[in-house]
Amino acid sequence: MRENRAASSLWGHLARDRRLFFVVPVLALFIPLFANPYIQFVVNLMLVYVLVTVGFNLVIGNLGQLAFANTAFFGIGAYATGILMIYAGMPFWVALIPGGIAGALAGFLASVTALRGIRLYYLAIITLAFGELMRWIYIHADTVTKGTDGLPVPMATVFGFVLDSEIKKFYVFLAIVVLVVMGTSNLLRSRVGRAIVAIKDNESATASLGIPTAQYIVLAFVWSGFVVGIAGGMFAVLIGRVVPESFGLVELIVHFAMVMVGGLGSLAGSVLGAITLTALPEYFRSFPGLEEMFFGALLVLILLFRPKGLASFLARYLPIFRERFYRE
Amino acid sequence: MTALLQLASVSVHFAGLKALTDVSLEAKRGEVKAVIGPNGAGKTTLFNVISGYVAATGGAIRFQDQDIHNLTPHEIAAKGVRRTFQNGGLFGEMTALENVLTGLHAQINSGFAGLLFGTKAACAAEREALARARRLLGLMEIGHLADQPAKDLSGGQQRMVEIVRALATDPPLLLLDEPAVGLAPPVRDRLMEIIRRLAGEEGIGILLIEHAIDLVMKGSDVIVVLNSGQKIAEGKPEEIRRNRDVLEAYLGYT
Repeated sequence: MRENRAASSLWGHLARDRRLFFVVPVLALFIPLFANPYIQFVVNLMLVYVLVTVGFNLVIGNLGQLAFANTAFFGIGAYATGILMIYAGMPFWVALIPGGIAGALAGFLASVTALRGIRLYYLAIITLAFGELMRWIYIHADTVTKGTDGLPVPMATVFGFVLDSEIKKFYVFLAIVVLVVMGTSNLLRSRVGRAIVAIKDNESATASLGIPTAQYIVLAFVWSGFVVGIAGGMFAVLIGRVVPESFGLVELIVHFAMVMVGGLGSLAGSVLGAITLTALPEYFRSFPGLEEMFFGALLVLILLFRPKGLASFLARYLPIFRERFYRE
Repeated sequence: MTALLQLASVSVHFAGLKALTDVSLEAKRGEVKAVIGPNGAGKTTLFNVISGYVAATGGAIRFQDQDIHNLTPHEIAAKGVRRTFQNGGLFGEMTALENVLTGLHAQINSGFAGLLFGTKAACAAEREALARARRLLGLMEIGHLADQPAKDLSGGQQRMVEIVRALATDPPLLLLDEPAVGLAPPVRDRLMEIIRRLAGEEGIGILLIEHAIDLVMKGSDVIVVLNSGQKIAEGKPEEIRRNRDVLEAYLGYT
């Protein structure tokens, strides 16, 4: 009994060490040993969607604003990166940063709407309209974007190193995702994260503590736009052709489902939700005609029985994944 | 002693509604001043205008000899005017400790980049704030509640955490909007004791809205009476008890 308790406390101690997070990306390093090119492509797509979901969850889960401009951030990041690679001849790793910044600017625009007092359903509909407007622009600014044919993105290079296989893309993507998720995790665990969650809970009370609420609303949107913009840039080089159809309403529903299935307001949930909902549709593809049914049924089941998403399993069994502002 | 806060004929007129008319009052360090009055007298509007949530349509508001009239709520709070809310302003999803940490926000001086990369300096600042938050909860004898989600605390405990959070950065002035409402009598008395102690030992100026007259008579140094948006009396508790206008407003004596 006694040894048992000692062992469990050792496990408990270990399981609370945040450095254990790195087990996940370190294990991921070995994926290419087992994956064929198709599976490797799906894994790369998961990495893209991890950032898509992390960014979206920050605004709808942590800040609690019904802003649905996520596909706009994603598309703007993808087009900006692609355009800079084609027309300015920038290598991928250089173009990715202005791609993220373009997403951040779009995030800033969305935050201004929220600051003007447009909230809830009004913010939802205006941000949806923003996404559709951007899609219209991708189609009609066809001298630059090549319209519905899509923008052919050249081969990505990183420091002169050509990413000509899925495995090479994987290692670069993994590094980017680890960096961005770590940064976001640091922010959420700091006074910034507290201020953002406090604003969701009670904006007046947050201001009464001397916290400039407007600044933090802008910050959350801008960081969200940046993260999703980076994801867009990665998506562009992964697919090799950026088409307007990739950023429509169906895509938005997928982003939303990833957040909800993973867990609203949970960073670990964002990662889980993105991985699950990228993998499952690919798996169900082998059951033609049934794939939408499987997908829809899974969504309904999780939201009915696990309204806090898959992250609630993690939080229960693995204490390191317990997050400050996400509770079962 | 010079006044901490001075209101000079402050008015708040919404379209057609005179919420406050020509109200002048002062708050001093170490003094507990209660604001009483019937429902709709303008007590909460008075607090909202001081803390910047409602704009004054006339008059002047000065805090520590600075005009705070046109500042936003967070700017006023940053200057050292802190408040609590009538319906409880705690962040329910956070623990008591995280609530107090949020109150310490301005004292953690880490920049964005430091926080993003989790630098040593940023981590040290965070740990320091954490230690301070625990100490503050301990001082109020609610250290054992630190890791409870705020929404699971009892009404009295929530009120205490909210006061600790408001006082986390040692502000000179605290506005308490009905802190005792809904509390059992022994808890109420204990809360009042703590409020007295904050004024007496820490020298904090306290403005207090309260409905329970017995509590106000016992616990405050000065009472201000509002009725229909106007100040009808100000004085020591025993003076207010004998004031005809006050009796009229409260009991309808003519």
